[in-house]
Amino acid sequence: MANKEVLDNASLQRALTRITYEIIERNKGGEDLVLVGIKTRGEFLAHRIADRLEQLEGVRIPVMAIDITNFRDDIPDHHDDLGLNQAERLNISEKNIVLIDDVLFTGRTIRAALDALIHIGRPKTIALAVLVDRGHRELPIRADFVGKNIPTAQNEKIKVFVQEIDGKDAVEIVH
Amino acid sequence: MKRHLILEDGTVFEGLGFGAHATTFGEIIFHTAMTGYQEIITDPIYDGQMIVFAMPVIGAAGIHAEAYESVKPAIRGMIVHDLAEVSVNRQRRMNLDRFLKQHNIPGLYQVDTRKLIRHLRETGPQKATIVDFADDHAVDQLVATVLTNKQVQNTATLKPYANPGRGRHIVVIDFGLKHGILRMLGDYDANVSVLPYTTSVDEVLTLDPDGIILSTGPGDPRSLPDSVLTLIRVLQTKAPLLGIGLGHELFALANDATLAPLSSEHHGMNHPIQEIISRQIFFAMQGQGYAVDNDSIDRKKLFVTYRDLVDGAVQGLRHREYPAFSVQFFPDAAPGPLEATAVFADFFETVEDYVEHHS
Amino acid sequence: MSNITANNVLFIGAGANDFGREAEYDAAIYQVMPELRGHGVNVYLIDENPYSLSLESLAATAIWKPLTVENIKAVIKQYQIDTVLPLFGGERALRLWSQTVQAWSHGDGPVPQTLGLTIDMLLRVNNVAVLTSMMADAGLPVITNHVAKAQEDANELLREIKLPLMVRALHPNQANTRQIVERLDEFETAVKSAKSQSMTQEIVISRAINGMKEISLEVLRDFRGNKMQIGASEDMDPIGIHTADSLSVSPTLTLSDQILEKMRFYAFQVADLLELRGVLHVQFAVDDLTNAIYIIKISPYIDQMASRMALVTGYPVMLVAINLAMGVALEEIVLSHDFGKKMAMMEPMMDHVTVKLPIFPFGELEQAGVSVNRQLNSIQKSVGSTIGFGRTFIEALEKAIRSAHFNNASFSPTNMSHSSDDALIQQLIHPEDNRVLLLVEAIKRGYEIDELAELTNIDEFFFYQLRHLLKLELEVEQQVESVEALRRAKKYGLSDGLLARFWRTNFKNIATLAHENHIEPTFKALEPSAGEFPENARQYYSTYEEENESLPVSEDTVLVIGSGAFRMGDAAAGGYATTIVLSELRRLQYHTVIMNNNASDATLLQNLADKQYLEPLEISDVMKVVALEKPIAIIVPGNRRKLIDALADLKQNVLILPKEKHVPNGPDDTETEFALNVFSDGHNIYPINITQHMTGELRIVPEIAQLPIQLAQTHLENPGVYQVIWYQDTSEWVKHVDVPDISHDTWLRPMPFGQMAFMSKVMQVQWLRMTVRALLARMTSQDSELLTNVNKLTLQADVAMIASDINYALHLQPTQMIDGTRFEIGVGIKYDEQIKI
Repeated sequence: MANKEVLDNASLQRALTRITYEIIERNKGGEDLVLVGIKTRGEFLAHRIADRLEQLEGVRIPVMAIDITNFRDDIPDHHDDLGLNQAERLNISEKNIVLIDDVLFTGRTIRAALDALIHIGRPKTIALAVLVDRGHRELPIRADFVGKNIPTAQNEKIKVFVQEIDGKDAVEIVH
Repeated sequence: MKRHLILEDGTVFEGLGFGAHATTFGEIIFHTAMTGYQEIITDPIYDGQMIVFAMPVIGAAGIHAEAYESVKPAIRGMIVHDLAEVSVNRQRRMNLDRFLKQHNIPGLYQVDTRKLIRHLRETGPQKATIVDFADDHAVDQLVATVLTNKQVQNTATLKPYANPGRGRHIVVIDFGLKHGILRMLGDYDANVSVLPYTTSVDEVLTLDPDGIILSTGPGDPRSLPDSVLTLIRVLQTKAPLLGIGLGHELFALANDATLAPLSSEHHGMNHPIQEIISRQIFFAMQGQGYAVDNDSIDRKKLFVTYRDLVDGAVQGLRHREYPAFSVQFFPDAAPGPLEATAVFADFFETVEDYVEHHS
Repeated sequence: MSNITANNVLFIGAGANDFGREAEYDAAIYQVMPELRGHGVNVYLIDENPYSLSLESLAATAIWKPLTVENIKAVIKQYQIDTVLPLFGGERALRLWSQTVQAWSHGDGPVPQTLGLTIDMLLRVNNVAVLTSMMADAGLPVITNHVAKAQEDANELLREIKLPLMVRALHPNQANTRQIVERLDEFETAVKSAKSQSMTQEIVISRAINGMKEISLEVLRDFRGNKMQIGASEDMDPIGIHTADSLSVSPTLTLSDQILEKMRFYAFQVADLLELRGVLHVQFAVDDLTNAIYIIKISPYIDQMASRMALVTGYPVMLVAINLAMGVALEEIVLSHDFGKKMAMMEPMMDHVTVKLPIFPFGELEQAGVSVNRQLNSIQKSVGSTIGFGRTFIEALEKAIRSAHFNNASFSPTNMSHSSDDALIQQLIHPEDNRVLLLVEAIKRGYEIDELAELTNIDEFFFYQLRHLLKLELEVEQQVESVEALRRAKKYGLSDGLLARFWRTNFKNIATLAHENHIEPTFKALEPSAGEFPENARQYYSTYEEENESLPVSEDTVLVIGSGAFRMGDAAAGGYATTIVLSELRRLQYHTVIMNNNASDATLLQNLADKQYLEPLEISDVMKVVALEKPIAIIVPGNRRKLIDALADLKQNVLILPKEKHVPNGPDDTETEFALNVFSDGHNIYPINITQHMTGELRIVPEIAQLPIQLAQTHLENPGVYQVIWYQDTSEWVKHVDVPDISHDTWLRPMPFGQMAFMSKVMQVQWLRMTVRALLARMTSQDSELLTNVNKLTLQADVAMIASDINYALHLQPTQMIDGTRFEIGVGIKYDEQIKI
């Protein structure tokens, strides 16, 4: 059975645009804002949002990518390696962080990311932006900015495609 | 029969009359759209105006039930080069000539419209009249005529009414609403309440809207009472808000920006408009005599979201603190390119998001 | 700012002219090569067409070779081509490049990048089935083909697709006939008959779209996904008649905004789907009753629609297209000063009407005793087209007819009145080339407009217009020399010539009457803002209104009369000749003004002349431009005898480009035609070379030509290239031939333009430019020196001009052989294999 496209290119762009506008609304002036993308697709989405902010405000908001594989509690023997070297590690203390990921599902990835962030600094606030919220939370975590809510069955898979690595922008339900 | 168009600056154009054999006064502007004449002449934004069409042949597509932007034409006169005769039959139940006759609006054809447009692009809009004889008396009368600035009052609803649907509840504040906006809201199955612009804050809030639209409308927004701006200032903090056309201009005024009349009015659908955030270019129907003065925008309150790439004019604004935004162009695509309808998609996504977070 | 890295870019040309392939591709390439060079790349072009202008352009390294996969591969290797641009060479170039890519082998090195379309998309575009299913998957309204074998399956499809249906054979064993099923009781028979025509007993069922309106949209897309509409046109003739054979109007007049916006939306979706960086032509079928829209063809490359839209809107389609292909974003395209600053990204608006009228070869063929099937259908029969510009449909139509049929006796209203009512009805249902006149005749005979509209599937609007025209003509005819009638007639584009015929006088009297009563033409600028912005226009068309916008160009203007539409015979080279003349005049620092009405060649390119008049080319049209521009000379092709005489009669300084009225017949199979080619500068005659012409092929005889004494003493007053012709019974290529005495067995004629184009390329001597210099008495000492020795130049006998393989049978179904020289459509070249290139 073919994959079902739930967000096409144009809707995906619009979703990112709307998230950007909402980030502006909540962070008046955009001061002390840092975007943190969760690898891999979250990182690209973070850069897209930073591009958009730059178009509007003419200022480049810092973007940091984190790899949280080693922070996941469902992976045995996890340890605290962010996959970042010192240069890539931004000072996030007293900053307003927007954490960015492609899909919000159980919430465990986000929890791990929160752990990781707190591990490297003491942000003033942390907000969460996701392109897709598919439900089925296992933790008390809620996104502040959602591109699109897509109710799904447990057995379905959501795949986010991004131009940078997948050659197209789309969200599909994979059967 | 031979009739004449007289401009306030004394220029006279000769043509043949069609539509009603009436004498009218209005402000004359030119329109470069090649399609959609029926939508254009029935759009309330043109209340009190005479329109010269650059498109040389007008009328061949007839008059259709699905192309009304209000139930009666708002214009005072129509000037074209060639009037296409079409029959009235099953497919075309009405033609342009008959339509204008019914509504007592004069038309003039076989006019050198290109000369007229080239003239108007230099002078800007001015008063004009369509008469039988272009004598001194007619000119004097034109000069003496004071055109109304009560266009919104002429076209906007006096009483609230509903356009029910089963979706989100959208309140439309009517300044001279065009049907295209209702059609778009219908596409989203919105449950629509249309309210007069004299409505109070409480009346709106009692209806518990999921979203608010400030409609399009004719004329100079500065001729409206200050209560409208107060209304907008409160409403923008209460629910997602979208201003369109005149509604955009009012949204700007409510947030302390100022307006300036455009040196040459722009009516057409061929200017590239850029969405600044994505750099995407698209086209939309535009009809504006005023634009938000770029320098007057308080960047702490508003930021510019769309720009006309031809003249740089502001085409969209967004509030920094609230989910409130506005567009100068017409996103209802009636007439006009469909890509502009994405603005409604944005609006409804914002509404969904708002409902999600506030329920 | 381009986002493409390229060093050596190769254009693949369109090749020889053919049905549906005029000079639009060559004109486009000619126009964009300098622009591409502006991006700092080396430009290369491969084409085989001797009439190609681009091959003579200084902006590129030209490779004049037959268009084959081998040659393309060789060129890529030899010139280290890293980038290929197939989108300017039409369907053929696209196919060739696909084949080249597919034939690429490991040892050939990396495949050069393709601009405009990815290779993957290119291959899909070349496969209609793949393309259709790709569009269908994307939810686009395409006509899907359903294959069925059993009657039961066919019955299912009948319920699914609904009437009317088109039924045809899959894998047909002979010519495929399509059957339209409109009634249920016709279905079974149609299925049976189609099955019997299929080698596999399978049939294809699809929705029938015959009779619907045919609409074309031209859009563009940049690499960022920005899209824009350039223009649209509507065919008066319904689907079922090839779009090239249809009368076509731009802008569209009978369609509502809602329908057009929907089409625009679909066209944009197609452009996105193809990830196109360039221009796209989408053809739609529209059902007027249900407003259903179908995509029937997509062409993501330069084609006739693209060049027509460039001409009718004034929007620089080609220059924008090359920038898009180079990865420049729409908003960053910088055009030359000839164009408005923001013009590239503004959708063109039209404040004029244009009518494209196809040119059919039936009349000329009939005169030569060849009869063909004149009935219009889905196979193209027209060989060219003209465009009329006006401010009303009628004016544009009148001007198009005048441009198309200035010497066509069969296109005369008087012919019509003789046909019987039955014949008339038959022709209304099965239209021929003269259908416009037929429609007028039908109105004249009192048929109701809604009847006619139903019978012909032509929108009522057009009948109302034609009825208006008829009424106007009848009124004018009766009001002899009435000033009011004259005024009205001029407003609707009726010519002085037609009025003279109505009033039984000559055109000069009409012109005088008009002049005395201040009924003067006003020239309107053709520019894409429809008057919104001050323009820097160079293109004008005439109408009769209040304001004239055209001011004289200068005091040393040369007016060039174009050759109009493509016709069979020498006309494919006519556009080439006109363009070279313009170019030489500019080099000689004259100001130039051109009059022409053909969108399919380079003659009307904005930067080739100081001003273009998009007009018919009758004497009265020409004199109106003359009255305004006051040219010091008018250059006219020699085949326009009547025009030349009339201009001379009016004391104009006419310079004639020697050309015969008709292209002469070619030799038949049993004989050889020899020509001694000579140049006359008006005083002396110089021998050039001898050519040998056998059926379908022409070569230079490898010997030095000498002038017979008789000829040396002759005086050819009008400068140009001439030929002394004689025949011999030879069927071998010769290395030597004796020039016979000039006698009754030989004759002298101007060299056809086509041979001049060939000869200029072979010899690297620009014979047309030389002719222009001689006409204007601007020959230089270098010219004289060259002419004295030109017969001793190295003879290139290795390249032959060959008639291209035109499928006359498919297009015209002639009753007998068509003489490929007299009725030439296209030519190519061939290199002699023994001699190394």
